[in-house]
Amino acid sequence: MGKRWGICLSASAPTTLSIFYKSLWDCHRIVFKGGFKTTNEELFKTLSDAVVSCKKDDVIAAVEKAKGQAPAVELIDNGLAAGMNEVGVLFERGKLFLPHVMMAADAMSAGVEMLQDELATGEGASTKLGVIVNGTVEGDVHDIGKAIVSTMLQAAGFEVHDIGRDVPVQNFIDKIKETNADMVGLSALMTTTLQGQKEVIELLKENGMRDSIKVMVGGAPATDAWAKKCGADCYAENASEAVAKAKELLL
Amino acid sequence: MATEYFLRMGDGQKIFMTKEDILADIEAGCADAADLGDIPALSEDEMDHMLDIITSPGRIVGVEPGLEVPVTHDIGAIRIDGDQGNSGVGIPASRLVGSMVHERAFGADTMELGHIDYSFKPVKPVISQEQQTMEVCQQNMVIPMLYGAMPNMGLYYTPDGPFENPGDLMKAFKISEAQDSIQHAGDHGIRDMVWIMQKLQKVGSDGVNFDTIGAAGDGDMYASLNAIEQLRKEFPNMYINAGMAGELVLGMHGDLEYDGTRLAGLWPHEQVLLAEKAGANTFGPVCNTNTSKTSAWNMGRSVTFTKAAVEASSIPCHADMGMGVGGIPMLETPPIDAVTRASKAIVEIAGVDGI
Repeated sequence: MGKRWGICLSASAPTTLSIFYKSLWDCHRIVFKGGFKTTNEELFKTLSDAVVSCKKDDVIAAVEKAKGQAPAVELIDNGLAAGMNEVGVLFERGKLFLPHVMMAADAMSAGVEMLQDELATGEGASTKLGVIVNGTVEGDVHDIGKAIVSTMLQAAGFEVHDIGRDVPVQNFIDKIKETNADMVGLSALMTTTLQGQKEVIELLKENGMRDSIKVMVGGAPATDAWAKKCGADCYAENASEAVAKAKELLL
Repeated sequence: MATEYFLRMGDGQKIFMTKEDILADIEAGCADAADLGDIPALSEDEMDHMLDIITSPGRIVGVEPGLEVPVTHDIGAIRIDGDQGNSGVGIPASRLVGSMVHERAFGADTMELGHIDYSFKPVKPVISQEQQTMEVCQQNMVIPMLYGAMPNMGLYYTPDGPFENPGDLMKAFKISEAQDSIQHAGDHGIRDMVWIMQKLQKVGSDGVNFDTIGAAGDGDMYASLNAIEQLRKEFPNMYINAGMAGELVLGMHGDLEYDGTRLAGLWPHEQVLLAEKAGANTFGPVCNTNTSKTSAWNMGRSVTFTKAAVEASSIPCHADMGMGVGGIPMLETPPIDAVTRASKAIVEIAGVDGI
């Protein structure tokens, strides 16, 4: 099903095409007997707009409507996550603020949750791109950004083991061994806990595991320079970049 | 090899740059402010003037004769005595002596009395002490003596205050509860700030300086504007300065309003209109310094934001210039080369009425 054309036929879609609502020059909207159907682009925009509205009910309604009309990965990546990225841009520009970001993140999580079953069984579920252990380092209780990164990585096709927040250093090592992970994502939101990222890397070295795993760092105080300094393989500024960098390093 | 000029990073580090690179940074800082605030950028002439100021050979610079502006000093009363990492010089002296030194030796045009904690809330239990000190200062000094403190709404949340911490609530996704807590703290703060100033007005204070409005987000500004409004009604001749904490009012609540205007997301040229509406006599625009950028970038940004506020305002703008604000590096005792250059630019280009 091409995004450009996006003639979406859900299970309940009528089989008889009655009239064209507009000319087919852009295939943006087609009227089926019994109601409007939207292209994938419109579908994604509806999902994105719902996240930007920061209203959980709107997101749930949009996901409910979109389910089955495109692969769950695409609904998340091009719809919900795109909306979350837009929220991030609006936040950076002083148009939206922490409560709005929180509400949007909560709404997005609810939307992703609704698509979990399909994610597990749907297209691409069997072809994982790699195994990633993700967690917020010890002493740091911030969870949201890391959770969004986990969701995005999962949506992109990685097998993600999110081990939560305030994670003791040794737990990272144990989980990496247990899952035979290809990459570990280390999040820290405070300058005081940033050092925890380095501690995990040092322990990886001590255990002779550093050469067999990629390390990604992220969080507000982390930077490219810090990634180099602490010995990580990369720094990702946001969830989308985390996916891009993970693909770059693992594929 | 091109000539390089001495300037600083926002963290105070000494650097050397060519004129071309300095101008490029001025333009970039200016463009950042213009983009974010949707305000006009500085003209080429203004940017060239800023370049001249930055590359001026002297260690310190000053405004042209005739362009001098009134200066004051927040919490200067304890700047002589203070030695707790707050850029004081640690010379034992009372707050009266500190204030008089600023008046008679340093040439301050106004002064303020401030408590060591410099927030309104901790003043409540020591209000009698503050009243007595204010009265003695008024009896010994000529220049206007205000009372100054930060609204600092953070002190109203657990573990320091009675209201549940919005940060904790938000982490648990209790957004509406967090917003309620901010609103309640704001209402409490209004009551405290008005009560404190009622007491100080009784002993002859010339007015109040609300310092770092918005430091705890839009709830902080909500409380401050409403306190200003109430004080203006009760004391029509009181002198009120509304000094901000940063160029942007952060939306910790997100939806609080004053007189129908949402507070979150306001830039200096928008903030000043509300300060004026609430009843402030002067407005203190602020632009925070980015420690990772050069002083050229920071000055370009700061002057652009401040100039827009000055142009939008019909009350005098007294820019907040000091460590980490106004294009000045973030150091406890900011280097004088950077302080004088940023100050000259804010007066001669942004056109502020005071510092």
